[in-house]
Amino acid sequence: MSTSLPRSVDAVAEPLLSLSQVTKRFGNFAALSEVSLDLRDGEVHCILGENGAGKSTLCNVIFGVHRPDGGVMRYRGAPFDPAGPADALGQGIAMVHQHFSLVGDLSVVDNVLLGRERGILNRKECARQLERIAAEYGLPLDPFAKIEELSVGERQRVEIVKCLIRNPRLFVLDEPTAVLLPDEIAALLDVCRRVAASGRAVVLVTHKLAEIKKVADRVTVLRGGRTVATSDDPAGDIGALVRAMIQGNVEALDSSAASILGLEPVTHVGHEPAAKTRIEVLQIDGLSVKDSQGVTRLDNFTLTVDRGEIVGVAGVEGNGQSELTAVLSGMMEATEGRIHLGEIDLTRRSPKEITAAGVGIVPEDRHAVGCVLGMSLAENIYLNRLDEFTRFGFLNRTALEREATSLMQRFDVRARGPAALFSSLSGGNQQKAVLAREMTLPNLSCLVAAQPTRGLDVGAVAAVYGHIRDACKRGIAVLLVSSELDELLTVADRIVVLYRGRVMGSCPADPKRKEAIGAMMAGQPQ
Amino acid sequence: MTSELFAVFLGSSIRLATPLLLAGIGEMVSERAGVLNMSIEGMMLMSAFAAAVGSWATGDPFVGLLFGIVSVLPVALLQAFLSNTLRANQIVSGIGINILVLGATTLAYREIFGARSRAEIPGLAKVKPPLLGDIPVIGPAVFEQVWLLYAGIALIVIVALVLRFTSVGLAIHAAGAEPKAVDKSGLSIARIRYACVVFAGFMASLAGAFLSIGDIHTFTEGMTRGAGYLAIASVIFGKWRIGGTSLACLLFGAATALQFQLPALGIGVPNALLIMLPYLLALLAVGGLVGRQMAPPSLGEPYRR
Repeated sequence: MSTSLPRSVDAVAEPLLSLSQVTKRFGNFAALSEVSLDLRDGEVHCILGENGAGKSTLCNVIFGVHRPDGGVMRYRGAPFDPAGPADALGQGIAMVHQHFSLVGDLSVVDNVLLGRERGILNRKECARQLERIAAEYGLPLDPFAKIEELSVGERQRVEIVKCLIRNPRLFVLDEPTAVLLPDEIAALLDVCRRVAASGRAVVLVTHKLAEIKKVADRVTVLRGGRTVATSDDPAGDIGALVRAMIQGNVEALDSSAASILGLEPVTHVGHEPAAKTRIEVLQIDGLSVKDSQGVTRLDNFTLTVDRGEIVGVAGVEGNGQSELTAVLSGMMEATEGRIHLGEIDLTRRSPKEITAAGVGIVPEDRHAVGCVLGMSLAENIYLNRLDEFTRFGFLNRTALEREATSLMQRFDVRARGPAALFSSLSGGNQQKAVLAREMTLPNLSCLVAAQPTRGLDVGAVAAVYGHIRDACKRGIAVLLVSSELDELLTVADRIVVLYRGRVMGSCPADPKRKEAIGAMMAGQPQ
Repeated sequence: MTSELFAVFLGSSIRLATPLLLAGIGEMVSERAGVLNMSIEGMMLMSAFAAAVGSWATGDPFVGLLFGIVSVLPVALLQAFLSNTLRANQIVSGIGINILVLGATTLAYREIFGARSRAEIPGLAKVKPPLLGDIPVIGPAVFEQVWLLYAGIALIVIVALVLRFTSVGLAIHAAGAEPKAVDKSGLSIARIRYACVVFAGFMASLAGAFLSIGDIHTFTEGMTRGAGYLAIASVIFGKWRIGGTSLACLLFGAATALQFQLPALGIGVPNALLIMLPYLLALLAVGGLVGRQMAPPSLGEPYRR
């Protein structure tokens, strides 16, 4: 018997895709070192790891975007060395990337057709195929809608359908749930299960443990570019997997950080309001913003933040949050409405005047707005107060670096020294430096923090939360804008929900209200 | 204005718009794919010179046209290499090429023609299309044009159809809008952009040849006199659409034609002012009169994975 079926036995024994000792370097930095991984038909295989652990690089190596510098890959029983995405696609590997890559002014059909068909386009036939896939997987889409008219969730659906229509043997999803609403996440995980059930393999990259518990058949954990753990029973091994991911003791972890990971249910770890009597600090009254094309981005936004209060602004990205923080920081002009800080009118003031009035801003894009990557850490920490270190037009670097060093200690900014180039710092340390700058404004009375933990690892997230709570204890009014609902439920006192630029509703930051808030984020008033 | 004069004005507007139209459509294709091809001016000048030399040396204007097309190929490949493979700044590299071509053609012209600079060069034939050409007054004045114009119009129609209905058109649009999407769909950004720059070079070579052997049957130093830049302006004016770009070219052609018409009508406008007119219009167009949001989002940005 065994001699008559050697080939089929081998075919069963050999995984669909195997990586052994795969290494990928960018310059001197090893994004992947000697990573090994097996993917089997019919399984959902989760890749778990913190930001910078090498998850995306791993996906890009499989998809042929990056070529490994070392190691061997085998796919369908043969050596595998894709020359590029075209090669991987041709061999039945499809990938949904972390960031959308859709052409905004083209229709869904055209985006799906891109790179798939040669010669004259048959849009009608493609629309029929789309409708079939939509019905099969529960992913409804209007084939002729333009991408720019679609919501974030619908765009994600287009990305997924783009892959499914190719009928892939291996389906790779790189952090696909980061921008989705709770029920959209459930639908996506369902698609993963269905694809796996049809005998194909799914790779799902995530740092959310709840998703792993729901769909993973097996898990591989990456840390610092290495495989540090694997599990065939993810739900049972979850504690060990988390320890492997963050290389630390879970018990010692800040409980707020643990809830962000989904390790424990979200608990509100807020605080008692500092003052019993309400003192309004930040008053936003009827703020509206129109963009250069006349589209209303923020519509009659009214909010007050009290002394010692943390107010969270929730919403799916692109619903007016960016415009709100841009107006508050003076980077964009409001079309209508007023902003007051106590008695001071801050409407249509310059960023300099707003800073001088005592508003600290942690911008959502720290690289574009929050810092100057090509300048030193010390210069960045005192960027808005460099004139304090200036005498007769010359900068006193000794004093600057001395002061910066003391702030680096206070805010736990780890770097080679105050003269280190800002771009050489890790994301977490860059963000801590920005916080250090904004939170040490002499007359700080209000802090506006937009997506302050984006792209940070768990330790840095906990540090950022700590600083925000400290600010609050000092009696500072905090406006926290975030697309991570769990983050707001953990840190904020009160949550307002933005939908298409309007306030959809507001409620206390009570984890029990999560569903109701999710519904408001989707545009259903509660 | 009498009807005869108007017909002449219309005819010369079209004649003067032709090189802009040819170069402008090529430039539009290149820009739609994301490459701001500033060297269109140099490409036209190169072709104008090579076509003149070819036509003068062989006596056959068609061979001259082929000379023009072939001469632009290395220029286009250089531009594509600089802006895609080396990821150089497209504006600076384009202007560099323009200056290089101006110097090279001037030098070669003096070496080759020297004292014979007044020599008549055989030019491309004019055709009178049936029916249209038979209309009294308007027929000969408006529709009797060099055949290259009609060939160019046919080419433009083909370009419009390709952009609208084929996978190539889709890939070109996506390359200028969201190059990452193109890369991830398995197509090659480099191949698309190289091809589009070379196509722009081909169209510019037709435009350049039209200037020297289609229109005035001679070559003069730096004879494009900014026509390539006007072609770029017409792409912006036309919001990166075929119809808009063509209309903008016609407008610039008409503005140039006014130089010759107004004096004939006895209207005393300083000639220098009229020469400025198309460039003034172009300045208004580029200066935001039509808004910038229509530009391909990745225009001018070399692609990096």
